[in-house]
Order: sequence, then structure tokens, then C-alpha cells
Amino acid sequence: MALIDIENLEVTFGSRGHVVHALRGVSLSVEEGESFGIVGESGSGKSTVLRAACGLAPVSGGRILIDGVPVATPRDAAFYRRVQMVFQDPYASLHPRHTIDRVLSEPLAIHGFDRREARVEQALVEVGLGAGFRFRYPHQLSGGQRQRVAIARALILEPKVILLDEPTSALDASIQAEVLNLLDRLRAERGLTYVLVSHDLAVVSHMCERLMVMQNGQVVEQLTRQALQDHATTKDYTRNLLTASEGFTRSPVPHS
Amino acid sequence: MSPLLSVENLRISFPSRQGPVEVVRGVSFTLGRERLGIVGESGSGKSQTGRAILGLTPVSGKATADRLEFDGIDLRNATPAKWRSLRGARMSMVMQDPKFSLNPVMTIGKQLMEAVKLHGGASEARDKSVAMLEAVQIRDPGRVMAAYPHELSGGMGQRAMIAMMLVTEPDLLIADEPTSALDVTVQIEVLRILDRLVSERGMGLIFISHDLELVSTFCDRVLVMYAGRVVEELDAAKMNEAKHPYTRGLLGCLPKIVGDVRPLPVLARDAAWLE
Repeated sequence: MALIDIENLEVTFGSRGHVVHALRGVSLSVEEGESFGIVGESGSGKSTVLRAACGLAPVSGGRILIDGVPVATPRDAAFYRRVQMVFQDPYASLHPRHTIDRVLSEPLAIHGFDRREARVEQALVEVGLGAGFRFRYPHQLSGGQRQRVAIARALILEPKVILLDEPTSALDASIQAEVLNLLDRLRAERGLTYVLVSHDLAVVSHMCERLMVMQNGQVVEQLTRQALQDHATTKDYTRNLLTASEGFTRSPVPHS
Repeated sequence: MSPLLSVENLRISFPSRQGPVEVVRGVSFTLGRERLGIVGESGSGKSQTGRAILGLTPVSGKATADRLEFDGIDLRNATPAKWRSLRGARMSMVMQDPKFSLNPVMTIGKQLMEAVKLHGGASEARDKSVAMLEAVQIRDPGRVMAAYPHELSGGMGQRAMIAMMLVTEPDLLIADEPTSALDVTVQIEVLRILDRLVSERGMGLIFISHDLELVSTFCDRVLVMYAGRVVEELDAAKMNEAKHPYTRGLLGCLPKIVGDVRPLPVLARDAAWLE
């Protein structure tokens, strides 16, 4: 049985007259310990899948199961103990007037963890920042350091699943490499399960064993990393995305 | 042939509590009618370099150069009137994000025609604007002319902005991350439009980007900037012969679709690169 099972998920926004179908029947399943990628262009619904799983988007159809059990709506504390999310923009996802210590202690207080100080310090060490960062404010940190704090905040509850929404797209290439390495190491050490959303095929191919391509709220296809590397795609859309990811070419990409 | 643009020892500094901070420290280059890429990380001074060429250094900053010459015109002491006659008409700039660079309460058509009218040619402003929108491959120029920026997608907005910058047929275009906010497939389309305009009109293009791989496939020549200096100048085709450890590090730390390097090599920054 898969750890995460999403069946025919539908998300619609808006009401009366103006309805946007953000997701139209998306299904996926992720095994424990696996890293699963979702790629697509803006508006394809890739982030909405994660947000819906986390209870941040209105689900209008389909089911989300964790360990075979449908999730409660609204999500309960037990859900967030197992599933945590890291958001795209480290500048927007940390409270500007809370110290790092407060950012990291709050989830511990909510979930009634003991040894809070020790846990905060340990989490900071694990993401490569060190306990010296505890009493700083987000504006005193660089983008890469903030994203490390966001990862520490997700990890501090010792979840099994981490949902990563474009975790490195706001970062410079050299910082991106550091954060990707950190995510890789943490997954190996703790046996975490990742669902990673990115517009960058290279990042997904580096991080994920399996991936899914999305367009207009639907799944175009699912393929393995090996198939992606061999260009063994069955859909034109994926092929165009692959060609475009390889840099500028003067001849036009054939349109589907 | 004398170059279109020559820059020698460009320095830009901003005041701070600890005294002036130099963000661009002695950048020199020349540009012909070609595609020149400027690559670097955030804070490397690449955008400030581009802005200084157009005299758009923020008022708190101070830009100095031993030489800053555009088509034989010394830009260092240009009067506001001189700048007005150059900007838009002969040199222009495409910014990163159409959301913040287009006027939200003016239709695209009005903004486009304003540019044409300011630089002569009021009578054919509408025809010229529509033709330009067609040139950047907007399929329904009539609708886009009447549309407000929020009614367009990111890719359309960016194309409209490129149209606005090119409608006056400038000799020099500075594009500051023109495609970073766009999806990969749209990005390639926008680059093709720029590419065609450079080769058809003989325009000089300065392409500022953080994306080394993209720049190396698109430009003729690349300047790599680090901490306000040009650390290396390369032929775009010879990117893999880069000598400076920073350039090599930047190339190495990108994840690739094919090939599996794990962990990714990270950039070990050397204090000596600052010198």
C-alpha cells in the first residue's frame, strides 16, 4: 500500500458563473521513502496538488489517503505531525517580526513536544545553520539561509512526508545546489518521503525517482527518471518541455 | 568600425552607514551589433551595470567611468534633455517583470502609442504599434491594444513590453532578465523574437541573466560578473573552456537532466576572487 494516495482529485475556485477548474481528476500514489516530482508550467495546477493535500485549497472531488486512511477535513493535528510543507518564497513564508527561535518553537508548542530548546538547536544544526542563528530575525538572513530555516521548521515535528513547493526557485544556482544537497541528505538520513513541485525539469530529474507532468489541471503523463533521461516520453508536450529545458535553439520547437 | 558602446572602468557606489559601498568596481567592455550576455548571481552588480548605461542609477547611488560612450556620444555628462532624446529612441531597456513595469491603469495600446508619439510619428502611431505587436508574435493585436496589463498573461505582457521598447527601433537594447519570470517554452519563444530582431535590424543587445546555461546558448559573448567585477570574458560557444573557478563552479553546480552527480558540487568561494 502506498503512503500517499490521491484519487481523482478535483479543485475548483470561484463561484457562480466564473468557475476555474484548477485540478480535473488528478491521481497519483507515492510509496514510503520515495521522492516524487511534479513538473508543469505556471497555471498547470502543480502547486494546487500540494496545497489541496495540505488542506490549503478547496477539494471538490476525489480522495486523499495517507496510509490508506482518508484525511480529515479540516486536517487534524495528527496529519500535520506526519505531513509538512516547505513553500517557494523564503522571503514571504517566515514571519518578519518573529525570531527564528519563535518560528521553530511554535509548532513544538502546538503539538506538545518536550525538550523544546534542545530540539530547536538540533534542527538548526541539522540544516547546517548552527545554534547561533536562534535569536536572529528573518531579515538578517540571506535567501538560502531562510530556506534552510523553512526546512528546519518542517523537520522539527519529525514528519514522514515533506511537500516541497518550488523549494529552490527563488535562490541563486550555487545556493540551489546547497539546498538540494541538504534535502537529499535529510531524506537519506531520516527515510523521508518527498513530493517536490518544480518548473525546472533538471531539478526534478536530480531529486526524484518518479515524476508526473501536468498541464491545464490534468496529468499529461507519469514517467521514471530513467525514462526522462532517455527522452522516452510518449507525449509531445513532455518532449517540448524537455527540448525547451535544454537551452535556446534557433529552429522552432515543433508544436503539438 | 567603432563599437556601438564602450564602457571603461565603470564604478557604482551607494552610501551606507559604514561609508560608500562599491557594487560595481571597474567594469570595462565594448559592444558591437551583437548579443552580449552578462551573467552573475544576485548582488554581483549585473543589473546596476545595465542601468548605469541608460543613466538609471538610483539617485542615492553614484556612477563614474573613465569612458561611457554610445555611438560617439559621451554619456557621462549628458544633460536631462540629451538623455530624453536617447532613451527610448536609441537605447531602451526591457525589465524583468511585466507586472511591475507596465502602467496598470493604461491600456497596452495607449502605452505603445505614447512611445511612438514621443519620438516623432504621431500620425502612424497606431499602425506602427499594431505592426510591432505582430512582430513579437501576438496573434490578436487588436485585442491586446485595448487590453490592460492585468488582462494579459505573463508571456503576453513581456512580449508587449518588448514591443514597446522596440517600436522606436533603438540601436541598443538592454534586457534585464527578460525571461526569468516566464515558463521555459514561452521563454524560448521570447528569445527567438529578440534573436530575430538583433539579426534583422542589426541591434546591439545586452542580455543580463543569472542563467549561465541559457546565456551560453543564446549570446555571442559572455561576461561573468562576481562581486562587482568582470572575472571572465568568454566566447559563448566555448563555455566549457572557462578558466575562472567561479565560472566553472557555477556551471558545475547546476543539476542536469542527464547524468547523476550526487551530491551536487557546491561553490567554494575564494576570498581571492574579490581582488
